Amino acid sequence: MPVNQLIKTILSNRYVLLLTTLTAYLLVVVAEGAITGREARLLDFENPFFDLNIGDFEEFQTTRSGEDPEVM
Amino acid sequence: MTNIVEARFLVKRYGDFTALDGVDLSIPSGSISGLIGPNGAGKTTTMKALVGLCDVEGELEVAGRDPRSARHKLMEEVCFIADVGILPKWLKVAQVLEFVSAVHPKFVRERAEKFLSTTEIPSNKRIKDLSKGMVTQLHLAIVMAIDVRLLVLDEPTLGLDIIYRKEFYDRLLNEYYDGDRTIIISTHQVEEIETLLSHLVFIKNGRITLDSSMNNLADRYFEVVVDPDKLTAADTLEPIYTRELLGRKTYMFEDVPLQHLEPLGEVLTPTVADLFVAKMKEDHHGG
Amino acid sequence: MVVNQFGQFGALLKREIIENRNLFISTPALLAVIFFVFSIWVVSFVPSAEIATGIEYLSVLFDGLSPLQMAPVFLLPAVPFIVTLYICAIIYLINSLYQDRKDASVLFWQSMPVSNLQTVISKVVTICAIAPVFYVAILFVLHLLAVAMLVALGLTYNVQVAGLGYMFMASVLSLLLIYLSAITTALWSLPSIGWLLLFSAFARKTPILWAVGVFILLGFLEDFVFGSQYLANWVESRSNPQQYMFFEFTDVVERLFSYDMLFGVVVGSILISGAISMRRFID
Repeated sequence: MPVNQLIKTILSNRYVLLLTTLTAYLLVVVAEGAITGREARLLDFENPFFDLNIGDFEEFQTTRSGEDPEVM
Repeated sequence: MTNIVEARFLVKRYGDFTALDGVDLSIPSGSISGLIGPNGAGKTTTMKALVGLCDVEGELEVAGRDPRSARHKLMEEVCFIADVGILPKWLKVAQVLEFVSAVHPKFVRERAEKFLSTTEIPSNKRIKDLSKGMVTQLHLAIVMAIDVRLLVLDEPTLGLDIIYRKEFYDRLLNEYYDGDRTIIISTHQVEEIETLLSHLVFIKNGRITLDSSMNNLADRYFEVVVDPDKLTAADTLEPIYTRELLGRKTYMFEDVPLQHLEPLGEVLTPTVADLFVAKMKEDHHGG
Repeated sequence: MVVNQFGQFGALLKREIIENRNLFISTPALLAVIFFVFSIWVVSFVPSAEIATGIEYLSVLFDGLSPLQMAPVFLLPAVPFIVTLYICAIIYLINSLYQDRKDASVLFWQSMPVSNLQTVISKVVTICAIAPVFYVAILFVLHLLAVAMLVALGLTYNVQVAGLGYMFMASVLSLLLIYLSAITTALWSLPSIGWLLLFSAFARKTPILWAVGVFILLGFLEDFVFGSQYLANWVESRSNPQQYMFFEFTDVVERLFSYDMLFGVVVGSILISGAISMRRFID
């Protein structure tokens, strides 16, 4: 019964519901942040494709000198 | 007879404004009920509450369910037409039918198409290109093709001309109503529906002022064209409303036995319109 | 009349597509037309000898190379489409639970036996999986036209065009990569999706101002109440543009099964649940 009462209170009007949702959101994010010690980090995202292949293009250009590599 | 709608002390506030101020309502199954009140009396709020489209406080049960927690289940048993065109304007007529037939288990598309074939509504037009009357016809076509227990119509003919209005109620009565279904109609134009009704509810300032079957009405309310020498005697019986008719005083009485009234003058059965005016002007006479 | 859950949900998705055809179809189609006309305009300035050499170069460049490896090359011309999809997604989400309340059609939608859960989930699925289909389909048409034109020109100038087949295959594979990236990005953005839906369902007017305003306010609130900045840190560590680029199919898989993805889904679910419950307040 207390659970039903709680749900009823949460759903009593739009403002209570918004506040409840935002509180849950904030608590979960803060708790996770505290547990994992989250810092503002811009993840280094490796891009193997261009590292690997830009070289290929240059190689291509040298083997096919005289072509215009700017087309496309 | 069981009731399909049972409401106890419904309250709805919008900020400072109290739209419903403790509404009690019982609608018998199989009735055609009219919810009648002036503009702003709480008709639309009550109608929306019945179908779970408005969050209200109080006890409410419609077709055995609480509309607030089981709206989508309830909607298999109940249909709703609002006072304003609520069909999405960007859908085409055929697309609305397609949508309803995909989501509503009790919708018979052929029936709706048959109905539409008797109108001039083109199926490839978007709803925003239809006239107000056509949108209402389309909504009626959809609703009449759904086999439900309860139909809730909130001022369905508002803004329509007389031809559409008459046709609307004719079709509703002749092609839809079968005695098992319940229809609740709200309006502020009493004359239009009084002949249809088997049950009557008046609402004023968010409160129900009358909730009675039409049969009972004839036993409870009398209008008396009072003889000029009996005016004092008539006054002591506490009429709820008095007016002058062709130079003679006419009094309306509530729950006064007929044998007390007959000596006063000619006794008439009031029309619903007269009763409506009387109840709306009544100043809390007897509660 | 038989109604099943599947057909019901399909109708809800179809409804979203019809209502938002401008965001999902007209906008990318217009972009494609602009793109195409612009390309032709540019090419018209190139002397025909150079066009012939260019086509031959492309043909030789792609000839025999694995389309799977070359697919990412075609992410570049897709960038304007992906950015457009992103903007359209924000517009779509912030209006999705607001527009029908504003024009009263919500009374019709809610007078159908469809639950709030189904309605809100249909919006999430639409933006995650359905909208990208249209963008990818339009890109496909664009690639098809481009290749057809190159082949036609190549044949006119009598140059070798067989390698263009490889190019086309690579471009088609790039579309698969774009589509999978779009779904992955959408799942990654589930907290943002939930946030926009919540305020779309909540606000009586200007939902976008609510969404942005409360977002900023909440950051200050955390600092004030807990003295921490985890919220800001969390948002910052998720909004690096690089996280939205997937150059290989393995990137997609890696991102899908990462811890950060999972936690985002949990947070997003909280907000989406809020939006579903908020649907009971429609007036």
